[in-house]
Amino acid sequence: METLIDFCTVSYSWPGGKGLREVQFCVPRGGLALISGPSGAGKSTLLRLAARLEEPAAGVIRFAGRALADYAPPQLRRRMGYIQQTPVVVEGSVRENLLLPFAFAVNREMPVPDDAALQGWLDRLALTQVRLDDVAAALSVGQKQRLCIIRSLLLQPELLLMDEPTSALDRVSRSIVEGMMETLNAEGMTLMVVSHSDFRPAVAHSMLMVDEGRVEEVA
Amino acid sequence: MSAGYIQISLWQLGLALGLVGVAGISSVLFELRLQKDLALGTLRTFAQLFAMGYLLKIIFNLNNALLVMGVYLCMTYFSIRIIRGRVREKNVDYFAPTMVSVMVSYTLVTFIVTGIIIGAKPWWTPQYFIPIGGMVAGNSMNALAIGLERFFAELRGKAGQVEMMLCLGADYREASREMFRNALKAGMIPSINSMMGVGIVSIPGMMTGQILAGADPADAVRYQIVVMLMIVAATALSSLIVLYLVRRRCFGSAMNLLLRS
Repeated sequence: METLIDFCTVSYSWPGGKGLREVQFCVPRGGLALISGPSGAGKSTLLRLAARLEEPAAGVIRFAGRALADYAPPQLRRRMGYIQQTPVVVEGSVRENLLLPFAFAVNREMPVPDDAALQGWLDRLALTQVRLDDVAAALSVGQKQRLCIIRSLLLQPELLLMDEPTSALDRVSRSIVEGMMETLNAEGMTLMVVSHSDFRPAVAHSMLMVDEGRVEEVA
Repeated sequence: MSAGYIQISLWQLGLALGLVGVAGISSVLFELRLQKDLALGTLRTFAQLFAMGYLLKIIFNLNNALLVMGVYLCMTYFSIRIIRGRVREKNVDYFAPTMVSVMVSYTLVTFIVTGIIIGAKPWWTPQYFIPIGGMVAGNSMNALAIGLERFFAELRGKAGQVEMMLCLGADYREASREMFRNALKAGMIPSINSMMGVGIVSIPGMMTGQILAGADPADAVRYQIVVMLMIVAATALSSLIVLYLVRRRCFGSAMNLLLRS
């Protein structure tokens, strides 16, 4: 199976000396990697390194066979969705938030989804009661998180990086988002998911345990 | 020496000391313990302004371009130092961008005002270039400090939003556009506000000086208008240049945000 993202002896240091040491793992295209470990172990840092929000002190990360540094950062990032732990929406309506990425130069060639398509996405993530003209800031945290997931998916990324996407959500929202992750993976999407919860998808290609600066593949 | 205004003799200046005495008496009566600061402040006012007065007299008499530029460089250098003292950011080196911004904007605006609008010949004529340059520096350094401080604070406070946009394919300019605009606006607003109140709330210092020196108030007004407009221009230009240059330094080579909340 083709490798989509590949960490080759990657090290990273936080100010103060601690960090990740010679991390080595890969995620195949269409795979689902669950990342777990104690707080502060560096789970989120793995995702941030993949999205080049952090730069490794040593080692190479490859995406689709090429080193991350070989891509222009906007070109690389638009091929990866990154879902933050705390959802961030900008001022304006749900529609304006969903169409935000299409205003960026790198995405201008992409077809802009119409209202029917956007509403279809809202329905798919059980946001049927949310209207496109609603003020995004007024949504609940769970609704905002789902809105952020849709916003990323509209760019048709090849890899979805999810940093504890359900940690701030209630039980209902959590099960919707977890179900969505499994569906997306079943449809061929590659996922790297940092999770504290007991989310155990039926098919997880790898389980990565981060501890004491090391990453160990446990399943 | 005859002049178009009433000159203040030394004994009259001594009389003015009585004014500061009022503040001193208040300090003693209400136990404010400001006597020492008042005394030092008064002494420094006398010493610094007399020194400046004599220095300007020498510079005006010598009428030497290099000397004028030297004084001008000193003024800009001290304005950069004051800006550095006011902005607390430690992770981004903004010294070089501030220097470029200050040198380009102050010099350009001062040259346009003295050489083109006022039409002094030569353009560096010290009695025009130095006070005009001083006013440009003094006023736009506040704008620079406010703009920089606001920009860094906004980037830190909205780091999540910036990274969200970066991850959706924004480049660093697109991701920080809102913070850039807010900082630019914050830097420019005080000079725009001062245009609103001028002539209603206060008679500005330069105009007051010219009127006291015997100038026709109608002429003094024209100078003051030029000064107000040049301050707005210097403020806008210097803020724009410094923020444009500093913004790139807030992001790494991967367009990753280097500031954290």
